[in-house]
Amino acid sequence: MPLRDFLPQGEMVFPLSQHIGKPAKPIVKKNDPVLVGQRIAEADGFVSAHVICSCSGTVKAIEKRRVLTGAMMDCIVVDNDGAFTPAEGFGQREDASKLTNDDILARVQEAAIVGLGGAGFPTHVKLRPKDPAAIRYIIANGAECEPYLTCNDQLMRTRAAEIVEGLELMLRLFPNAEGVIGIERNKPEAISAMEAAVSGKNRMRVLPLKTKYPQGGERSLIQVVAGANFPITKLPADVGCIVENVGTIYAIQRAVLYHEPLFSHCLTLTGEAVKNPGNYIIRDGTSFSELLEASGGLKEGVTLKKALCGGPMMGIPLGSLDVPIQKQNNGLTLLPEDPCEIAEAQMTACLHCGRCTTVCPMGLLPQLMAEAADDGDLDRYEKKLYGLECIQCGSCTYICPAKRPLMQTFKQAKAEIMARKRAAGGK
Amino acid sequence: MNTALNISSSPHTRDKWSTAFIMRVVTLSLLPASLVGVIVYGWNALLVLALSVASAVASEFLFDKLTHKGDTWKDGSAVVTGLMLGLCLSPSAPWYIPVLGSMFAILVVKCCFGGLGKNFVNPALAGRCFLLISFGKVMSAYQIVDGVSMATPIAALKGGSAVNITQMFLGTANGVIGSSILALLVGGLALWALDIIHGQICFSVLISFTAAMGLFGGQGFDVKFLLAHLCGGGVVMGAFFMATDYVTSPVSRLGQTVYGVLIGLLGAVFRIKGGAPDSFSYSVIIANLFVPMIDTYILSKPFAYRRLARGKWDGSGPLLKRVPRPVIVLTSIALIAGVALSGVYALTKGTIEEQHRAAQAASYKVVLPSAESFEVDAALDQAVADLNGQVYGSDFGRSYINEVFIGRDAAGEIAGYAISATSADGFDGNITLAVGVSPDGTLNGISFTELNETPGMGMRADEPEFKEQFNGRTATRFKLIKAGSAIAEDEIDSVSGASITSSAVVNAVNAALDFFHTTVKGGN
Repeated sequence: MPLRDFLPQGEMVFPLSQHIGKPAKPIVKKNDPVLVGQRIAEADGFVSAHVICSCSGTVKAIEKRRVLTGAMMDCIVVDNDGAFTPAEGFGQREDASKLTNDDILARVQEAAIVGLGGAGFPTHVKLRPKDPAAIRYIIANGAECEPYLTCNDQLMRTRAAEIVEGLELMLRLFPNAEGVIGIERNKPEAISAMEAAVSGKNRMRVLPLKTKYPQGGERSLIQVVAGANFPITKLPADVGCIVENVGTIYAIQRAVLYHEPLFSHCLTLTGEAVKNPGNYIIRDGTSFSELLEASGGLKEGVTLKKALCGGPMMGIPLGSLDVPIQKQNNGLTLLPEDPCEIAEAQMTACLHCGRCTTVCPMGLLPQLMAEAADDGDLDRYEKKLYGLECIQCGSCTYICPAKRPLMQTFKQAKAEIMARKRAAGGK
Repeated sequence: MNTALNISSSPHTRDKWSTAFIMRVVTLSLLPASLVGVIVYGWNALLVLALSVASAVASEFLFDKLTHKGDTWKDGSAVVTGLMLGLCLSPSAPWYIPVLGSMFAILVVKCCFGGLGKNFVNPALAGRCFLLISFGKVMSAYQIVDGVSMATPIAALKGGSAVNITQMFLGTANGVIGSSILALLVGGLALWALDIIHGQICFSVLISFTAAMGLFGGQGFDVKFLLAHLCGGGVVMGAFFMATDYVTSPVSRLGQTVYGVLIGLLGAVFRIKGGAPDSFSYSVIIANLFVPMIDTYILSKPFAYRRLARGKWDGSGPLLKRVPRPVIVLTSIALIAGVALSGVYALTKGTIEEQHRAAQAASYKVVLPSAESFEVDAALDQAVADLNGQVYGSDFGRSYINEVFIGRDAAGEIAGYAISATSADGFDGNITLAVGVSPDGTLNGISFTELNETPGMGMRADEPEFKEQFNGRTATRFKLIKAGSAIAEDEIDSVSGASITSSAVVNAVNAALDFFHTTVKGGN
């Protein structure tokens, strides 16, 4: 499913917080004209990101709108004129050799790039670790281990040279680092495209990975590439690694060489309920429902039961499709049936079969963690069983033959422990 | 747009395997053994299996209904428990054995402790041990293959005799319904290949058991000896199906290995020093009881905290440091148990032998009342030694000649010969008796020195009505006939309802007489 550009016609909604960190502050007012690529909200502080307009038109309102988590959030609503008139100052390729490291970092920050793998962590923060010389690996995450999602695969097949250029720019910031492009073996075309683009380049290689969820998890990748396992309290930079999604690296290339801010990214529309699945370069702020309708809608006779922003393993369930697509959203999976509902009906007591232990990418003991959490023994959960190390990948829950809601239990237990810690710290 | 979309925590996809599916696969894996059992032992074996499974499921159904626990009987775990229990029973077990066993397993061991996932020992094994304790004699009555009465191979092995390993492997020897090692291996290895059971458990059981038998079994690493022990007494069943029970085995890989080794060692200790052929069940159950302790001390740490994985990252705390402690504790427990058992055996060995000798001497006196003293004869001793502890002759079942004494009267004349003979074909182990023979070949009488038959049945062989039939007879070989009709000189009335015991006694006496006529008289 090749990548296609999707140009929305309807109103565009830009949440002020699409990233991890403080929400941005609007710098436009109602009725202001806006252009593609124009900054409409400023980052508030270092760990924050700007908001970029992805269409041309006029600001309709700055108000609370429902976003994909189901919450109401401050958003800038833009009446899209459908012309997509770009703002000035980007689009022309520049000679990168004259750019200093600070220029590169500044352009990444200006372009409002966040991690497109899903978390949405501001990239300019990630690229400024305490000691750049200690970074040994820049890992380009092309694993795309979520089932159903294929847009990164398409991006790597069609934008291999651009991704490699982006990686080269990143490597300039880290003199001792090697660039490793990790791709799961189930994407042979992407692997060969990237290998072709990498050939002849220094400090760079493609690393085919075992096809296995959660191979694209930051920690799983670091484990494979650097052989390092590290506690949840540490960051990848602490073990000399920086992991960026290939989509993010492509965005870095656009930002640095073309001065182009991030206002579009790739997204997979998929799921058994979709009539025409496909991969799109989608503009931020487009509503999920507009994309679905324009693509041809649902399959005939199918009722939508569950909509996921992302893939089935870690996707966020949507209560409604009338919410805007954010920067880091890379999939819309629409299912005619809810596997969670089916699983709930099959739930039995824990068998202690140990399948969860076998699949846990962190080496935890989910069956005992669930037991401790259910017993309310959070001390045991945290200290004996290292329950805070859970990365909530959902592998245990997926594999559980007794269909226990393990990850839900862990989420709650972790939230409760963190709340207690905050309360204890506040005294 | 559709506004009623489902919201739930991720993941939004699930593996196809469910509890019921796993139970179905385990049930399937037991079918080869069940099939072989039914083919070899006949329809009664099928009846035992059916009753066992049916009453297990019915018990759980009943418990569900009485306690409003939902429909847990549908998950298929009761079928597995029932089938496993049935396979561990004698094919000739009466109907109430599988029924009571399954009821105990499901109602007491499983349901009363919280149902699926909460039982603290393996329900099927607990059911079996319950039956062994409550109905010992019925439980150890193994059926007869091809109409021939035989002890189970493992009892025979204990008795020191040779067993047919091929028969044991194929499952055509005497034993429980699920005694075909081949069929059990097919099922067990399939489960392992499907990742349903953990290899570290079953293989550590087998390896540690074999190693311990080789080291302490007294026969070294003799392949035949080890194979016989591996193929008998439920070792394979225990290793693949019982020890691997999810609920009653440890969580971490290391814990599972320790647990498996514990089972293997306990099994070997019981096999070498203990008496019961069913001891492997007990070793699994005892190891089950250690599981909470293993799970307390041997918890694997997350990758980030493991010493081996630490690599370039050195911020984590002490890692596998605590692991050796429980390993040491458990190994010590196993060693102490072994040493204690051997110690008690060594301490009492002398006394036991003395008492044995006294009993022997007393019984010689009984069968040769006119003798004042008994002496050994070098030539006869050599003749006994030449038998090499092998089965005597070919017409006397599994009979052995133990020793021969010459009895002399007050005048120093030979009053007769006392011959000790053993038959291993008793209903419940060995029968050893002393036979007194006058120099002219007249049988003075017999006296039992070892008799462990069923009270009220086989034990009645020791009553005068049966054993005094031999007194004063001159026949060189006796025939056993049905009770109440012996007239001829060479006929002996069977103890009613104990033909196995009676036949073993007659075989032992015949062996002793044969030895007298061919060796004592022939040799002199």
